[in-house]
Amino acid sequence: MNNNKFALYFQRIKMSLLLYLSIFGPATITAMADNDASGVATYAIAGAQLGYPILFLLVWVTILLAITQEMGMRLSLVTRKGLGDLIREKFGIKAAIFIFACLFVANMGTIIVDVAAFKTTAHILHLPAIPLAAILIAVTFFFVTKGNYKATQNIMLVSCFFYLAYIFSAFKSNPNWHLALANLAWPQGIKFTDGYWKLYIITGLGVLGTTITPWGQFFISSFGLDKQIEKGKLLFSQIETYWGAFLTDFFSFFMIVATAATLFVHQVPLLSGEQASLAIEPFAGKLAATLFAFGIMNAGFMGIVIVGLSTTYAFSEFFGYSGSLDNSFTKSKTFYILFLVQLLAAFFIILLPFVNLFQIVIATQILNAMALPPIFFYLIKFTNDKKLMGKYINNPFQKWFAIGGTVVIAIASLFTVVAQFIKF
Amino acid sequence: MLYFSELEGKKVFTEDRIEIGKLDDIIFMVSSNPKVSKLVINTYRHDQLILPFEYVLKMNHSVVIKKAYMTGGLEENELYIKKNLLDKQIIDIGGNKIVRVNDVSLQELNTPEKYEMAITGVDIGLLGILRRVGVESLAYNFLHLFGYNLASQFLSWGDIQPLELTQGKVRLKKREEKLQDMRPEDLADYLEKTNEKNVHKFLRILDKKFAAEVISNLNINYQRDLFLHWEADKSASILQLIHIDEAVDILLAIPRKKREEILILIPEHKRKELQHLMNLSRTPIGKIITSEYMTTTPTATVHEVMGKIKGDTAEYSFFAAIYVLNSEKQLVGVFNPHDLLMQDRETPVYKFMTQNLIEIRLTTPIEIAIRKMLRYHLPALPVVNNNKNMLGILTFDQVAGFIQKRL
Repeated sequence: MNNNKFALYFQRIKMSLLLYLSIFGPATITAMADNDASGVATYAIAGAQLGYPILFLLVWVTILLAITQEMGMRLSLVTRKGLGDLIREKFGIKAAIFIFACLFVANMGTIIVDVAAFKTTAHILHLPAIPLAAILIAVTFFFVTKGNYKATQNIMLVSCFFYLAYIFSAFKSNPNWHLALANLAWPQGIKFTDGYWKLYIITGLGVLGTTITPWGQFFISSFGLDKQIEKGKLLFSQIETYWGAFLTDFFSFFMIVATAATLFVHQVPLLSGEQASLAIEPFAGKLAATLFAFGIMNAGFMGIVIVGLSTTYAFSEFFGYSGSLDNSFTKSKTFYILFLVQLLAAFFIILLPFVNLFQIVIATQILNAMALPPIFFYLIKFTNDKKLMGKYINNPFQKWFAIGGTVVIAIASLFTVVAQFIKF
Repeated sequence: MLYFSELEGKKVFTEDRIEIGKLDDIIFMVSSNPKVSKLVINTYRHDQLILPFEYVLKMNHSVVIKKAYMTGGLEENELYIKKNLLDKQIIDIGGNKIVRVNDVSLQELNTPEKYEMAITGVDIGLLGILRRVGVESLAYNFLHLFGYNLASQFLSWGDIQPLELTQGKVRLKKREEKLQDMRPEDLADYLEKTNEKNVHKFLRILDKKFAAEVISNLNINYQRDLFLHWEADKSASILQLIHIDEAVDILLAIPRKKREEILILIPEHKRKELQHLMNLSRTPIGKIITSEYMTTTPTATVHEVMGKIKGDTAEYSFFAAIYVLNSEKQLVGVFNPHDLLMQDRETPVYKFMTQNLIEIRLTTPIEIAIRKMLRYHLPALPVVNNNKNMLGILTFDQVAGFIQKRL
């Protein structure tokens, strides 16, 4: 009798999990992985430095994320080709090498930050950091080589549950919810100075770069292809993309709130992103801080897998070589070697004592943002191409919002570069 | 051999040296014999002209065309190299993507009557990418310094389904139903690059006659492996379909016991013929082959090979071919001095060597070797062991005495 009840209980859990897995597909995974460790660190820093007003930017970033991810998904479902495939085929080898170089540099930066955040957080939790980071690399590689697509996706989705930790941390930090929500509509509630706005642009670019990423653009399309979604299910996939974008920034919102309510309000200087977990402790309590730390470690793992995979996916699209998770190790050696090289490079770089996470986290995310305009250029060009897309071409809102976003990113990038050399 | 990337952007002149413009694209006939039919030229007046290939006199360092030329248009069954082939993905049977067309190779067909050019295949390797961005020799020499030699990865035109090209797809011609349409030489070429399991699979689905033709085009070690693997009755039925010279050569290469099992199953008149040829000569070939031959590596340049010829072959009494060995000392190619003289100084050997080798073994009877020489018009044959290592060469000089005796 008791046994039966137990079985029924598990049956129910299994059913709801299956439902969850069937609704959450590539878009959700991509969107959730946007909140990798570098993302968490960036949001934490943004919240601590800028307070609630950065939430205003988050709204616009979310819309741009939703639009561009949907474009990438639609492009691959209609043309049955990835973004990399199309760039190579329509614009030739030089464009392919240039875009891949942009992507590779941005991804390498993100992976380094992810491994570094994992290491630093483990250190804070009094765990042996370097051996753990080495284990992380080994587990990640094993996981990607031995697991198949389905297993990969499911483990990814399950680890998404860890993101609930941020919501918990945010609630424990007793934020001013009214002010937080008001800032979604318009920046308010603090004294705005020129210095603040300068920081807002630079850190804001980092927030944008960690939310809308170059790898996200490539990943959404090749992941969609790998999953072999039919063209007829386009509407479903579109809704899923929008939902994924919302979900990403739903969690980002709580990360920012958690540090804005504690560190910014109490003017505690934050030296590095993962220190957020320590810094919020006096205000939010030990449990919230520990959860935040575990969340970062989990996010590090997610980021390494997904960002690393996106480099390899893009590589195989640009330059050939079979690249799919459903192939065995021997069948696509290049695919896995490239993956491993990224992990090992990141591991050895974080062993260097002078690599300061705080310095590299915003910088790498700005690098991500700077790589976006050339990628968006191709994405928008393809999705506006009537010959390529037929009736699935961009509508005017999608087109002009994406173009506007690209121009704003380009200007902000320029501003950030200039700001490095000229004191305002 | 020329690459499209080397031709693209080359200046186009008339025979009286008037510059017309630059080469932009090349148009070819979509067929199993993809001849170049037209050139697309960007003129200095900012328009494009399509020039039929019959007006082209020479195409290498620059493009030279006849003084009085006329322009043409695109016809049915014609495609562009740059627009339709370059950078495209090559899809295998299952529709899984595998490689990309990094470059396209062309071959001049220089007959006394007219100047023609055809596509021979596509470059799918790293060298192709490097060549496209113009750093091929730089990267090649740099890696060469560290003892690493880049080899080109190449897919012959015979492997590609021309029909699918017109639908914008480059697809490998490995579909089972398409196999029958392939030339046996091309299929053999392909099978040699794949693994043993695939070879068996392909040969099983082909009809016997076609399979036999394919098998006689395989290199001798593959042939040996296949016959060692097959049941005797299958071997017997295939053997009857392939050229008798090849059959004798194969039979002599497999162990006596297996050989006799197979021979019993062959009809009497055919068996007698085979046995007669096998018993013709008990003279081991090893006694008359010579070790006086020159080898080189696939990556040596023409210039280096010439130096080696001057240094090493002064004392040779016979010199007709240079053999190419890979890093495992396996025979992978051959070329003759004429091939060599036609190339530029810095061209590496792998670019022009012949990979389709006619080889013999120590067990090959002299009669069979002579027949092969005559059939393929070769002055010498390389002798290899079961690992494709070279043991020596058999020259026409050496067998001449033998022929005289038999006359």
